Amino acid sequence: MSEPRIVVIDNHGQFTHLEGRALRDVGVDTEILDNDTDPADIDADGLVLSGGPSMDRVGRCADYLDLDVPVFGICLGLQFIAEELGGRVESGDYGGYADVDVRIRDGEDPLVGSLAPETRTWASHADEVVEAPEGFAVTADSDVCGVEAMSDTDRDLYGVQWHPEVSHTERGQEVFENFVSICE
Amino acid sequence: MVNVEEFIDEATTEIREAVGDANAIIALSGGVDSSVAAALAYRAIGDQLTPVYVDTGLMRKGETDQIRETFAFMDSLEVVEAQGRFLDALAGVTDPEEKRHVIGEQFIREFEREARETNAEYLVQGTIYPDRIESEGNIKSHHNVGGLPDVVDFEGIVEPVRDLYKDEVREVARALDLEAVISERMPFPGPGLAVRIIGEVTEEKLAVARDANHVVEEEVAEHDPWQAFAAVIGKATGVKGDNRVHGWVVSVRSVESRDGMTARAQNLPWETLQRIQSRITGENDDVARVVYDVTHKPPATIEYE
Repeated sequence: MSEPRIVVIDNHGQFTHLEGRALRDVGVDTEILDNDTDPADIDADGLVLSGGPSMDRVGRCADYLDLDVPVFGICLGLQFIAEELGGRVESGDYGGYADVDVRIRDGEDPLVGSLAPETRTWASHADEVVEAPEGFAVTADSDVCGVEAMSDTDRDLYGVQWHPEVSHTERGQEVFENFVSICE
Repeated sequence: MVNVEEFIDEATTEIREAVGDANAIIALSGGVDSSVAAALAYRAIGDQLTPVYVDTGLMRKGETDQIRETFAFMDSLEVVEAQGRFLDALAGVTDPEEKRHVIGEQFIREFEREARETNAEYLVQGTIYPDRIESEGNIKSHHNVGGLPDVVDFEGIVEPVRDLYKDEVREVARALDLEAVISERMPFPGPGLAVRIIGEVTEEKLAVARDANHVVEEEVAEHDPWQAFAAVIGKATGVKGDNRVHGWVVSVRSVESRDGMTARAQNLPWETLQRIQSRITGENDDVARVVYDVTHKPPATIEYE
């Protein structure tokens, strides 16, 4: 199979363009689209839902979960997937900013398993997932956040709370490579 | 990473097509972004171009002389002495966004005048990708994006490096054979030292900021930061030679980054920090204390305003 084409959905995040850059650096065909794009116009083998400032500004993200391609939510993208599918998101006691050491709980997970046992990430969030939706396994956690990553490998839905696209996250590029493998 | 040779070809073609036979002026700040934009535009349209450097009075120590030297090969370089006009415009302005706005407007006014004199119909700017993102996200307005007045006399604005990151701009600078003093230069904000002064910009605070920035750049050079500077952030009590001083507080910041989107406060040696402290308080009678900013980005931004 040829290289997959992965579309980044922009939820108005500061780092959305870095997600495009990370995928470009992996070497796949990629494009950044606004989150009000008609799902029928999206031609992709996988989707990244970017971070962003507010759950009120996720546009048509709910429709994109029905496109039947692997989805990778980052930060707000993760929180959106959790809330949309029946999990719970709340304001955390302790915002995660800059360095966060994340423990990988499932070394077999296709998205973050290769980072086990621990990885140094860079984060920027006040809210967090406090309950993953049914069907999801919590694949990583940290001292400041109970759900740093979650996966539903049956539906190919994934998310991380940190920002793998920023240069200060160690091995962030590897997470994108893993997602590309999932989409192949 | 962008393909540098392809990029230079494309950007040069784009500038040539956009400007045609008209004249253009370039807002040259001496930073790597506008220098690359200027070098690309010079390559594209040669004499049709007037690079304009405005000395806002908000520049670092020795900066204007260095610009004259580096860009001496461009015959049409115009150095505008606008220090007084900027300081007048900034008098009484304390709000950070208002400050940027005032500076942006004054910039444009200076450029418009030069443009009329040179019959320039196009303005070239060194806006890079993160500038646009931060402006779109309303984190901060950048003078070369958000401060543009509604009425601009130019036919068009050309931004040849608008899709590049800082590290990519540096690659292009090296490929264009710009001197290391430009290609490896630390980022310096468009509004200059004004955003490194909390509250009103006065001559007194500017003098402190200028000297402190110089000290920091010299002392941290061997630690190779992505960006290092000093900001005048307020007043506090000190004691100098048995006299109580109510003097300026200077905050020193030195960060590591790839692209400015995230940054890590640098773990500088205590001896280095102490030398910085000693020089800044020793050379400036009205500085009462020096602090080191240990905050990463996020949650802080790199610059103060």
